[in-house]
Amino acid sequence: MRAALSRLRVVREPNLAMTARALEESAEGPRPLVPMAGGTDLFVYLNAGALPEQDYLDLWHLDELRGVIDTPGGVRIHALETFANLRRDPLVKRRYPALAEASSWVGARQIQNRATIAGNIANGSPAGDSLPVLLALDARIRLVRFSAPRDVGFDTFYTGYRTSVRHPSELIHSILLPWPLPGTRQYFRKVGTRLAQAISKVVIATTITVQKGRVTRARIALGSVAATVVRVPSAEDALLGEKLTPAAASEAARRLRESIHPIDDIRSTAAHRLRVAGRLVELAVADALR
Amino acid sequence: MGEEILVSLKVNGQERALAVKPNTTLQDLVRWHLDLTGTKKGCEMGECGACTVLMDGRPVNSCMVLAVAASGSEVTTIEGLSVNGDLHPLQKAFVKHGALQCGFCTPGMILSAKALIDSKADPTEEDIRQVLGGNLCRCAAYPRIVKAILSWKEFEGVPLDTRPHTPEERDQERDHAVVGHGVTRYDGPDKVSGRARYTSDIRLPGMIFGKILCSPHAHALIRSIDTTGAKKLPGVLAVITGADVPETRYGVSPARYDEHVLAKERVRYVGDEVAAVAAVDVETAERALRLIQVEYEVLPAVFDAEEALKPGAPLIHPEDPRYAGNVNTRVEWNFGDVDKGFAEADLVREERFVGSRTYQAPIEPHASLARWEHHGPKLTLWSATQTPHYLQQMVARTLDIPVGSIRVIKPAVGGGFGVKAETTPLDLCAVILARMTGRPVMMKYSRREMFYHFRGRHKQIMDLKIGLKRDGSITAVQSRIVLDGGAYTSYGVITAYYAGSMIPTLYKIPHYKYDGLRMYTNLPACGAFRGHGVPQPRFAFESLLDMMAEDLGLDPFDVRIRNAMTPGTRTCNALDISSCEFGATLERAREASGWAQKKGRLPRGKGIGVGCGGFVSGAGYPIYRSDFPHSNAMLRVHESGQAVTLHIAAADIGQGSDTVLPQIAAEELGIPYDRVWMAACDSTLSPVDLGSYSSRVTLMGGNAVKMAATDVKNKLLRVAGRRLGCDPAALTCRDGRIFVKEHPSVGIDWAEVAAAAFSEGGPVVGTGSYRPPTTLGGDFKGGTVGTSPAYSFSTFVCEVSVDLETGFVTVDRCVDFSDAGTVVNPVTFHGQVEGGVIMGIGETLLEDVVHRADGTIANPNLHDYLIPSIRETPEIISVAVESFEPRGPFGAKEIGEGCLVPILGAIANAVYDACGVRVKELPITPEKILKGLQLQAAGRVAARVEG
Ligand SMILES: Cc1cc2nc3c(=O)[nH]c(=O)nc-3n(C[C@H](O)[C@H](O)[C@H](O)COP(=O)(O)OP(=O)(O)OC[C@H]3O[C@@H](n4cnc5c(N)ncnc54)[C@H](O)[C@@H]3O)c2cc1C
Ligand code: FES
Ligand code: FES
Repeated sequence: MRAALSRLRVVREPNLAMTARALEESAEGPRPLVPMAGGTDLFVYLNAGALPEQDYLDLWHLDELRGVIDTPGGVRIHALETFANLRRDPLVKRRYPALAEASSWVGARQIQNRATIAGNIANGSPAGDSLPVLLALDARIRLVRFSAPRDVGFDTFYTGYRTSVRHPSELIHSILLPWPLPGTRQYFRKVGTRLAQAISKVVIATTITVQKGRVTRARIALGSVAATVVRVPSAEDALLGEKLTPAAASEAARRLRESIHPIDDIRSTAAHRLRVAGRLVELAVADALR
Repeated sequence: MGEEILVSLKVNGQERALAVKPNTTLQDLVRWHLDLTGTKKGCEMGECGACTVLMDGRPVNSCMVLAVAASGSEVTTIEGLSVNGDLHPLQKAFVKHGALQCGFCTPGMILSAKALIDSKADPTEEDIRQVLGGNLCRCAAYPRIVKAILSWKEFEGVPLDTRPHTPEERDQERDHAVVGHGVTRYDGPDKVSGRARYTSDIRLPGMIFGKILCSPHAHALIRSIDTTGAKKLPGVLAVITGADVPETRYGVSPARYDEHVLAKERVRYVGDEVAAVAAVDVETAERALRLIQVEYEVLPAVFDAEEALKPGAPLIHPEDPRYAGNVNTRVEWNFGDVDKGFAEADLVREERFVGSRTYQAPIEPHASLARWEHHGPKLTLWSATQTPHYLQQMVARTLDIPVGSIRVIKPAVGGGFGVKAETTPLDLCAVILARMTGRPVMMKYSRREMFYHFRGRHKQIMDLKIGLKRDGSITAVQSRIVLDGGAYTSYGVITAYYAGSMIPTLYKIPHYKYDGLRMYTNLPACGAFRGHGVPQPRFAFESLLDMMAEDLGLDPFDVRIRNAMTPGTRTCNALDISSCEFGATLERAREASGWAQKKGRLPRGKGIGVGCGGFVSGAGYPIYRSDFPHSNAMLRVHESGQAVTLHIAAADIGQGSDTVLPQIAAEELGIPYDRVWMAACDSTLSPVDLGSYSSRVTLMGGNAVKMAATDVKNKLLRVAGRRLGCDPAALTCRDGRIFVKEHPSVGIDWAEVAAAAFSEGGPVVGTGSYRPPTTLGGDFKGGTVGTSPAYSFSTFVCEVSVDLETGFVTVDRCVDFSDAGTVVNPVTFHGQVEGGVIMGIGETLLEDVVHRADGTIANPNLHDYLIPSIRETPEIISVAVESFEPRGPFGAKEIGEGCLVPILGAIANAVYDACGVRVKELPITPEKILKGLQLQAAGRVAARVEG
């Protein structure tokens, strides 16, 4: 048994309201509770001894935080939905194939059965595989605390490397994915270190909307190339109003290479990430042409 | 500390309510509270999948689920799969297909498969590869696992037997009854059912736990250590430091014992052992470690072998003048006259190749359990070891305990590949702590600690020069290798010799010069890893040979065939090659791979490459001077005559020796395989065997077993002869009968004869022993390394795809043709080849332990140190090209290590064929390939990338 775990306490409240209250109340105290969903990120830190002895607030049993719901404004995905569910969910597969695809690339089956989408968001690793997809899909995050919920656009959610606008007393409640516009092609690709259970070197998600032969809207989101998941507006602009031609694609790739500044780490090099990211944009455009 | 919490859940159909600490994981709940130890611990980080259980029908990593969070759920562990003693069809399929080696990943693998077939009874191969991505198997039994799952339904309602699964798994050519037949593994049923106990699964009354404090500095002097705080912590029973351990240094090679059990005054790498604690549980032990205060004086450190050589580099072993300049081992070999050879060449080329620091990464972490007995100072040591005998010797020598007082038991071992072939600080500290506390002490490494202890592959910097005639014949070879040895010697002396000695065994080399330099650096020590010292030089050689073939406009196969080794040759470095079908492996691989249609003709991004390899079938000399025969066996016939027990302390670590050795016994005795029992690997039960290293067990252990069986057979034939009234020499045994050779119908039941023999004269026992010829090797320094009674040979051809956008390489399909002598068991044989191929793929494309500037490891886990998953597994066709080795039992040689050797060069050559990028530095990563492609696009025809 890991020493880092040894003093942990696990709090489990019967429902969402009480859970939210427990979180909010503890936030001001000396030992704020830390929400625990699937635990797949928390356990890695715990085992590495990277977390001080903490108290955890178990969410796993809260069925109020489960469900993929069809709403007029789009599809609402609740916090505890696991990637195993999202990979298979018929609605997600039909409307947000990029998310279903991304879900199937998270860890391996055992991880997918526990790893939740809210955990991926809250953990906020720039390598989180679902994050570029959420960004490209204009997701909105619903945060709750006992007192009040609020909705935040995912494009303004992160404030820096693994920091966000979420207050420690807030839980991620759900994610709203607006309905995709007609004529929109979604693309996802993870370039990982290995074929199974790999961490991304570069991950890309794009949505490209084409009407009457010209691009009317483009979202290009990348993971593992910056401190947070990022969109690349300059590259998106390169496509706007254009036909989907190789020339437009390479212009988008050129601008993308100019505007991102990845780093070297154990998983890859900055130079490689830059090259691959550029190529992925070209592949995304080529895919949208099909 | 949080109070205990009541958890109720259903485990294997039974309602359970248990009080556990809040921090208890589901893994510890099943292993510790319920003693269901089939759920394994390989990493505790969600990476290996060995801990997989089904939670409400879905596979999860039980190491990542709190027991509390599993409340109310239904959990199935491997023990829950068999019903009333009958194994689940999946489990039977695993046994029959040989879908396991060490078995450590097997329970998790089977549970993942179970979830799959529950949701889809007829899964496709693609489904299986998708679903098993999170179950790592370092033995890489993947191809057989796929087959087993695909065919699981065939095993419904079928009782399990030991017979070969298909007719192809039976030797058709020779008239053997057992040898050459793919009988099922002896340890198979226990491993698929979770019954097999590995060291860390053992629980003894009063057992306590030890942990080791490691140095945070790469190089420092220890100024002081204060253990008072740790000693005061409730639950702590003993704390030791360098002051409490003997002055005696230990290691592997007697010439270079350079390690203290715990550091005396100097630490030489991040991870060097400084102190150890025994406490009532692991948590307390770990907490105690944090209370130990060590004052260090940090010294400059050196992390690069070539830097370590420079004047003024920090001295790592200043206490011993032999290691001046940080040189640990220097080899200077000169056979023939290379200058003359190069002068005769039409083309001479020299290139630098660089290997990587790869780690064996067995899924089972090292573990050791020591207990002192009450009567007499006697010690029992259970250890996850490949070499029980050397362990016994080393513990005796280092801790000054009579060897006769030490009993070493090797339980099931979850893979080793060399890393478990030496005595660890766990072994030594457990013994000391057990003696101090009077309690059994269990010690194990975490995954991270394994990486820091290391003993993985040496990174070699290789300057290789070859001279070729226009027709491709080799005129001379010169090799200069600098090996990064890390802070201690371990197996390194031998590694430095092996790196040179095995080059002249594949091709005929008239003139050969080798200069090897093994350097000390402030990194974890390197040791012996499958193919010991040879894969990297072979990678260099096979790469350079291809480059030069291209220069000369020759086909890579033609060059190899022109120089190929032939039987009965003495190499330039005085190694005696006896049987050798190398030429045939080349011819057949060329044919079967479709080389002529493919080489240079595949579309861009696709390529084909060839590489060759081979290895010793057991080292010709032991590691320390000893006159004992290397392998020794005893066979005891049970009084009933219906069974025999084989006593041999050869260590099965997954390679299958507990299966092939009984096969050899059964063949020689003339009884069915399933009448042979294996005695546990326990030094009180069996005489010395040097253990599982240098691919020695089939040949050496096999010879000892065969001799013991002959001994028994002769005794029984005498009794039978009397009963049948004929000359024993006219008799033979087979399939449980003893009969007249010329008149097979005249005979008598084997068991009846054996029982009669017992009645007449008491126990019927046979003994056998084997020592290699004492004449092996040349009369020069280091001339013993590389000697062996016999050598294996192989040719490997693979096809790869290179993603030109990302540089990602996939090995698509491959063929391996190996001459391993007679194949004793086709299932374990091909399993070894497949495992070696996949491990070789990992070593070539993925693996490298990376150190930061302060000597810490950037990837000490299976998340960032990537080993191949089932998704990296290509289609592998493995074919045996059998020679008959006169020195081997029934003609057998080795396969376990040689099979890895050719892979690296073959993949490098295939990558070059696919995209024109020649990578000379391992691993061949997408980063290097893409960089090469970019250089290429910038105008060069074929880029050569070095970095
Ligand atoms: C072996 C392995 C492989 C992995 N592979 C991948 C991969 O390929 N791609 C990838 O993206 N990730 C991967 N991960 C990381 C991890 O699985 C994901 O990030 C996952 O989505 C985390 O979800 P969780 O429910 O397990 O989070 P937890 O570990 O429970 O929590 C993670 C963080 O989120 C917070 N949190 C969780 N839920 C909420 C909530 N509702 N509201 C507020 N805060 C919350 C927690 O406090 C914690 O800080 C891997 C992890 C492992 C162990
Ligand atoms: S021990 Fe749980 S995944 Fe390795
Ligand atoms: S059999 Fe899979 S790890 Fe050994």
